[in-house]
Amino acid sequence: MDKSYFTMFSLNPWHHYLTSLCRSETPARNSRCKVCFLGLVQSFSHYNAVGQRLGVSLVQAKEKGQLIFFEGLKESLSVLISQESNTKSQAIDFLRDPSVGLRSLYEFVRCTVSSSSGGGEKGADGAEEWGPPVLLVDDLSVLLSLGVTVGTVLDFSHYCRATVCSQLQGNMVMLTRCDGEEEADDGDDEGSERLHRGLTHQCSLTLHVQGLPTGYCRDIHGQVEVCWRRRQGDGQHTQKKLFQYKVHDKGASFFARGTSSAVL
Amino acid sequence: MLQGTDVGGFLIIQDSATYSGRHLLNSFINAALNREESVHVLGFEISEEELKDGLKRSPIQRLHFHNAFIDPLGWTDHPIFTVHQFSLEELVRLVKQTSHPKPATLVIDSLSWILRHISPPAVCKTLQQLKKEGAVRAVIGLLHADMHQKGTVGSVCHLATSVITVAPGVKGDAAVAKITKRSKSGKVMQDEEIFSIKEDLTVIVQSKPNHTGPKQTDSEEQEIDPTANLTFNLRLSETERSAKDKLALPFVFSKEKKTALLHSGPGSGRILYEPDANDDYDQEDPDDDLDV
Repeated sequence: MDKSYFTMFSLNPWHHYLTSLCRSETPARNSRCKVCFLGLVQSFSHYNAVGQRLGVSLVQAKEKGQLIFFEGLKESLSVLISQESNTKSQAIDFLRDPSVGLRSLYEFVRCTVSSSSGGGEKGADGAEEWGPPVLLVDDLSVLLSLGVTVGTVLDFSHYCRATVCSQLQGNMVMLTRCDGEEEADDGDDEGSERLHRGLTHQCSLTLHVQGLPTGYCRDIHGQVEVCWRRRQGDGQHTQKKLFQYKVHDKGASFFARGTSSAVL
Repeated sequence: MLQGTDVGGFLIIQDSATYSGRHLLNSFINAALNREESVHVLGFEISEEELKDGLKRSPIQRLHFHNAFIDPLGWTDHPIFTVHQFSLEELVRLVKQTSHPKPATLVIDSLSWILRHISPPAVCKTLQQLKKEGAVRAVIGLLHADMHQKGTVGSVCHLATSVITVAPGVKGDAAVAKITKRSKSGKVMQDEEIFSIKEDLTVIVQSKPNHTGPKQTDSEEQEIDPTANLTFNLRLSETERSAKDKLALPFVFSKEKKTALLHSGPGSGRILYEPDANDDYDQEDPDDDLDV
């Protein structure tokens, strides 16, 4: 990956299992990229199980220091059931007081991705040189339901983009959820639609994943609309492509509309 | 408009999530640079590399980028430019940093970022002051119209001398631009064009979209005659028409009829009214204000 991208996945809620696609999107595992994963809605073991099915061992990556996993659910316990304070839990401070903002969470991300040279283990000889970092966030919409405002989340994603993509030439993938068919007439709703629009303005590539408008189908699980926003060298300015996909046990296959193997 | 805005001009490019106005903004920057003007870009949403990447073929010696992208909220110890520095004094200081004979053009990318953190009235005030101050020849701002309330968008655009709203076009590369220009005399002109931007950032206006034809001063609409092609006759002959015009409608009163009704003649019932001590007798005619 020579150019850094900020990719946003937006999902309809009942296609959650597509997070498994995120795993297949990271060839970073094999090349020396450091991955910072903010898992706010699922436990580490969930992703590990998915990863194992795709042939990637997250446990190994974590031990090597290649993967830093922020387990939001576990960290939030230390806030909700206040026990002895943990320095790591500072990142989840916004749970205590949403108005504080996501600066601490950003600091956590910054520290993680910035310590890219010298490997993950302290005092290791022949320290490994990590390549450009990758930041994965699953997902941003949950922050809204925790009381964080849309503006704050957009500031957070801005800072992450400035550090990860611009400064360190890395990549970012963020997941958001769009709730069904909300019509935003005035554009002044503080909800997920506004967050979605704000993130679309910021990112280079949007993948909008949703079910088929006609309903459930056994062979075609849904469609993906790929939207390139920023210029790719001298290429077209905005490009949209629509694909359909089917999720298999070990990944997903994409095909052009109407060319599903069930149809042809 | 790409030829150059007047002094004191304020252009807003409005875009949405479906189509980014940044490409058009780059065209304006490119045009200004080619006219040997100096351009200052206040970049909140765009990094320097990204801006320069979009202006590959432009003469960028006169382009000055002010980095508000890296730390706009002051989260680090040494922010270069934060959003709270968006005020007349700070902006003039930024622009005057580089000495150049011609006053510069200030490009703001984007106004939406600023509006998210500074109240709209304060932003409008600063923009208005900037227009009048004179250190800056023209201001071009990018605004994401779908990220704000309509009132906010309206207020900010009200300050502008021109507003271009861009939206995706029907086919491929082309996009639609709705242009509103406010001249010094107060006249407002509106136009709609289909355009596309070439690789060298020149804008090609293709044509006007089909549904709005070119505006004519004597625009006559073609009325379809509803009385044509019927199996029964809805038309009036001349005698019928004159009889219709002469007809007195029941509730439209002529003066004679009014007086006859309001002042009852002899023989009809009369009302004799003798107020007693408790009555509030008003001499005025209560029917005086009837518009009959």
